[in-house]
Formats: sequence, C-alpha cells, structure tokens
Amino acid sequence: MNRTVAELGFPGRLIAVEGLDGSGKSTQVHLLQKWLEQQGCKVFFSSWNSSALVKSATSRGKKENLLTPTTFSLIHATDFADRYERQLLPLLRAGYIVLCDRYIFTAFARDVVRGVPPDWVRGVYSHAALPDLIFFFKASLEVSLARILDNRPVLKFHEAGMDLQLSTNPYESFRLFQGRIFEQYLAIFMEFNFVMIDANDRIEAQQDVVRRLVSGHIRLADYRTASAT
Amino acid sequence: MPRRPARPAPRTSTRSTASTRVVVPEITPKTFFGHGLPGVDLEKLTGKLIVIEGADGSGRSTQISRLVEWLEGTGHATLQVGLKRSTLVSEQLEQAQQGNILSRTTLSLFYATDFADQLEHAMLPALRAGAVVLADRYIYTLMARDLVRGMDERWLRNLYGIALVPDAVFYLEVSPEQLVQRVFAKNQSLDFWESGMDLGLSRDMFDSFLKYQAAMRETFRRLQSTYRFRIIDGERSTASINEELKTRIGVVLASGR
Repeated sequence: MNRTVAELGFPGRLIAVEGLDGSGKSTQVHLLQKWLEQQGCKVFFSSWNSSALVKSATSRGKKENLLTPTTFSLIHATDFADRYERQLLPLLRAGYIVLCDRYIFTAFARDVVRGVPPDWVRGVYSHAALPDLIFFFKASLEVSLARILDNRPVLKFHEAGMDLQLSTNPYESFRLFQGRIFEQYLAIFMEFNFVMIDANDRIEAQQDVVRRLVSGHIRLADYRTASAT
Repeated sequence: MPRRPARPAPRTSTRSTASTRVVVPEITPKTFFGHGLPGVDLEKLTGKLIVIEGADGSGRSTQISRLVEWLEGTGHATLQVGLKRSTLVSEQLEQAQQGNILSRTTLSLFYATDFADQLEHAMLPALRAGAVVLADRYIYTLMARDLVRGMDERWLRNLYGIALVPDAVFYLEVSPEQLVQRVFAKNQSLDFWESGMDLGLSRDMFDSFLKYQAAMRETFRRLQSTYRFRIIDGERSTASINEELKTRIGVVLASGR
C-alpha cells in the first residue's frame, strides 16, 4: 500500500481535504492556506480535476457524454497524475506544505459508486503518496444538498450522477448519488485514518480544530521561508 | 446484402476447398486479464479479437490490410482498431506528444484512457455483433513502452486488467537494423518516440533508435513468456508472412484456439 509523504522521507507535507460537495471543505482549506501563508510557510494549493491539458479532454467527454465508468475513472487519474508528477511531488520534495482540495479518496469513493472495482482504482492510484493528514468534512447529507442546491440550481450531468440512471430527475439523482458517495467515504474512513470534522458546526469552530491539528502534526517552523524568519 | 463470389477467391491458397460456403467460427469463451470492465457480459462476445503487434516498420499495417481483404472475402465482418484512435482523447494525446510535456505516469494513463475508450466503444460492440476485430497493436506495446521506461510492472498489469484477452496475438519481430532501413525507405526520418529520444539513451538519434528498439524487442520477448503470444519472423517476404498469418488465423476461426 501507499506510504505517506513523511514515511517516504520527503521534506514536504501533504494535507488533503475530502467530503461531499457542499460540505464546506473548500472554505476550510482556503482559510487554512491563508493562515499558513501568513505564518510565512511555503504553501501550495491544488484542486481536483484542474490540469489544463486533461481538462479539455474531460470537458469534451462530459459534454458529449462519451464517458463510461472506466474512462471517467481513467481520465481523472490522468489529470491527477499530471498534477502529481509535475507539481505535487516536486513541491513535496522541495519542502512545501501542499494542500489538496480532494485527493485520491475522491476517486475511491466516486468511481466505485459508478461500478468500477475498488482494487483496480486503488491500483491505478498506487503511485501516489498518502497525505500526512486527511480531513473529512462530515456534514449531514441534507445540509450538503441544501448548500449545493441553494447556490447553483443547474446541476451538470455527471455532477448529478445522471450517468448512473438512478433517477430521471437531476435533483433526485444528485441526492441518491451523493448518498452513495457518502457511504463509500464512510467505508474507507478508518482504513485511511481520516480526521473527522463536524461540518455542521460553525465555520470558525471548524477552522479552529483544523489549525490546531495542523500545528500539532507539522512543525510549522520547518516550513517558513528564509525571509520570514 | 448477400454477396456471391462469381468464382473461387484467388488468394485462399491454404484452402484448396475454396467454395461459396462461409465458415461460421466456433464461439469460444472470452476472459479479461484482470478486473475487467463493469457491466460487460462476456458470453455475448461472439466475435474474435486478433492482435498484430510489432514496431513501426515491422509490416503490421500491410499485413492487416491484406488480412481484411482475405477475411471479408471469406465472409467475415471486420473492424480495425489501433492505438491513439479514440474519439475521446486522441487529439489531446497527439498534442501532448508533440510538446513532450507529460511525465511518464500521465502519458501512460492517457494511453490507457484512449485504449479503454476504443475497447468500450469500438471493440466490444463489434465483438458483440460477431465481427473479427483486428487490432493494430494492443496493450503489449503500451506495456512494453512503459516497462522500457522503468515503470512498475504490477501497476501496469492492474491498469490493463480491464483488457480482454485476445483470441490470438502475433508479434512481427524485425531486428532493429532492419527496422531502421525500412523506416528510412518509407519516411526518410526517424520519429522522436520510436527512437526513444525521451529516454536519453544517446544524443545521436540513429544510435538511440537502435538501442531503444533492441530494448523493446527484449521486453516483448520477456512479455511473450507471460502472455504466450506468437512471435512471427517479420524479416521474410510479405507474402510468406501473410500465408502464415492466414493459416494461423484460419485455425482460430475454425476451432477457437
């Protein structure tokens, strides 16, 4: 199985946040990034599905509905590998604290819901180091759904899990899809040592927990740039 | 539309019984290499999957077009597939290769995506329809390229566990020295990737080509012991190679393996 960045002996540290859409994880990781930057730490932030080259293929596949569970999984794995090999890994070796909004666990949960064998997906991502700290933002399903559905009433095809044909109604499909992803997250929770954050709590209260855990796990002084000390 | 040959097909020299009778291939069970693809009913795959492997210049495409002529002439529907031909990512893959901007795992996964897309959208539907699918290269080339570049074999095996085990695989083996002559006869220039220039084997492209192709041949020979494909001496005449392929494929179509 994969080893953590610390176990691999790299000077950097990797922190990942996971959770359903609408769990507030992006807000929390943003606040964490701000704080670390203000401490003078070398920080890099990366989000899921964001490498430029792969993005064009992904959006094409999604638009034209060409993707099957396997190609959906592979194209995201390609995107991840591109970011991992060109950014994340070099930065970790250079001693950065890298923050990832979603990491391989998103694939483990989502692709498995789409019917891809769990062992196979894990194998595909087995080249990637495990994070040193994984926060899982656990909001009740209803809260997550409300946050997403309040903000953005138009759901994209894959986002709503319409390819799974759970329901012809996008909102109903989204609910069912998110519910299944949630179950998958819970199934891998213990195995990967997720730190559970109560995402129904106030933003500040969550951030307080996050910052305390980060400073408990990582000696921030080691990550300050020369100019900041 | 029923097509009735007016006279016996001229090229079926291995079968002197050339007649209007079309041989219906026996249906043999299909398997995946590993986990396979979700939702595929293997029993419905009544066609045959034939793979031709070999380096650029080994004569693959010449052989395939002759095989298509022969197969269709003897009443079998065919479909040709090859690497980097998927609707999903072939363009992006081409771009990425031009710029040489992707790192190894990424390029490997990109190729796997291209392969999976063709497998699901071209090969499987054709096999369900009972056609003979001729693959101009398959996962063996993809694996060999990555293995030569030092990637983990277990990782690759898992990745390509989605692939269907072919009914027959032929590797056209040509020595690197012969290959370089054939490539020059055709293109007058060596390809960056086919010369393995990304590996830094030599700054001299000619030198690099020979070293890279030798390493690929070694890897294919090693893979052969695992995957049991047939190595065909590709340095003989086109016609004699074609005869051998026809005989061997004829056996596959008649009886399975």
